[in-house]
Amino acid sequence: MRIAGFVRGGRALAPLIAVLVELGVIYGGGASPAAVAYGYSAAALFPVLAWLTKLLLDTEPDVQRRLARLSVGPAREATGGLLAALVVALVVGAAAMAAPWLFHGIDPNKELASGMLLGVLAHLLAVPPAVAVGALASRAVTGSVRLGVTVLITAAVLVVVLGLSSSWAPWLVPPVMATARELADALPPTGSGVPPAGTIVLLVAWATAWCAVAFAGYGWLRRRRS
Amino acid sequence: MRFEGVWFRYARRAAWTLRDIGAAVEPGATVVVLGRNGAGKSTLLQLAAGVLRPVRGRVSDRPAIVGWVPERFPADQPFTAGDYLRRMALVRGVTDPHAADRWIERLLLTEHAATRLGDLSKGTAQKVGLAQALLLPPGLLVLDEPWEGLDAVARTLIPEIVAEVTHAGGIVLVSDHRGEITALPGAIHWTVSEHGLQPSPEKTPEGEVIVELAVRRSEATQAVAELRAAGHRVLRVKDPDADVRGAPVIAEPGRDPRARADRKPR
Repeated sequence: MRIAGFVRGGRALAPLIAVLVELGVIYGGGASPAAVAYGYSAAALFPVLAWLTKLLLDTEPDVQRRLARLSVGPAREATGGLLAALVVALVVGAAAMAAPWLFHGIDPNKELASGMLLGVLAHLLAVPPAVAVGALASRAVTGSVRLGVTVLITAAVLVVVLGLSSSWAPWLVPPVMATARELADALPPTGSGVPPAGTIVLLVAWATAWCAVAFAGYGWLRRRRS
Repeated sequence: MRFEGVWFRYARRAAWTLRDIGAAVEPGATVVVLGRNGAGKSTLLQLAAGVLRPVRGRVSDRPAIVGWVPERFPADQPFTAGDYLRRMALVRGVTDPHAADRWIERLLLTEHAATRLGDLSKGTAQKVGLAQALLLPPGLLVLDEPWEGLDAVARTLIPEIVAEVTHAGGIVLVSDHRGEITALPGAIHWTVSEHGLQPSPEKTPEGEVIVELAVRRSEATQAVAELRAAGHRVLRVKDPDADVRGAPVIAEPGRDPRARADRKPR
């Protein structure tokens, strides 16, 4: 019901245009190895997916959200919203992975197979934290448009600023920038094309732990703001 | 269902909307919640339904299936009335595939089923709100100002539906600031005010009938006094112009002037 309302309401249009523009900028400059291109496209997608999530969760009027909560219970209502946002974000993520082939943005002669797999990983590492940020910025949690937008923009800026290699507290944000960097650093001639297994495990564990905290915070705030 | 020392406020530093509410409702009962605007009727109903959670205290023994008709139906959704009700039936896990269509027909919504929610009149949207609350037979039906915007035909449906829910053992809570309580003669009345909840546990006697009269404004006070003197109960006095003039025609002796503003002397 949420996805149908979201799509029919036409509110998805603005962030989707932003995705297109972003991808056009990223891939417009010529072909690069898949791992590098996808690493940065996942990072660029992060704020847009968070925005999409906020829009999707905010589409439903507050009273309708309360009706839904009464119908299915608070836990299922909250999880339902997150799952709907996750589905939308995964679809957009998949479309973003297909897009560079239209723009000829990927060099098929350089580490293509491993680059594709690493690209999927980079997008999978970006989607759940983006959904978590969007959910934390949604009206059901923030209660006001101003606070919601502030949360969204602050999170998007912090992901970049604290994600830089010189960051003093990279663990405060999800490893979106870190993943993009590791994928680029692993390319030959400096690397084998694939980051070391230990690095991949660390990135996955980092993203999982960050999401666990963020989603737990979302659940707690939703329960408090009944 | 019981309210056990329920306190509620909308924000941490805000004034309490409801203080120390204690009350119980038996299965099969209808409760009409009265009170002036802003007294907390809607808040009390939302606490009863489980839409709001008490800041202190609790609401216990709430029936499992709750139907809530909000004061204003959220019409800002990109669905037609029929589509919305069928989707809500799915969300609510209604197994009967015709439940939505049955309520569309019963609430005279058939000709509006293909209309978008945002294009419905206030009364028709209110009926969609009523239908979604009844898709599953509710153990607790909470109606927040259900008469608002309804036409004469639809108004008669409310007492009918209330009676069906209570006969099945359900509880019905209704808020009312328009003095439509006469339509529910067997109901218990609760009055919400800044002092809390004043339940009047005695039901309206079943053997009574309701007679509506019109009297000249200048003689209204005297007519009410004479009717009371003759042993009749005056349920309400309604002055069509009072909303404009902002003052009730009749002052109920010995009552708080703020309570008089409701124009519902009993």
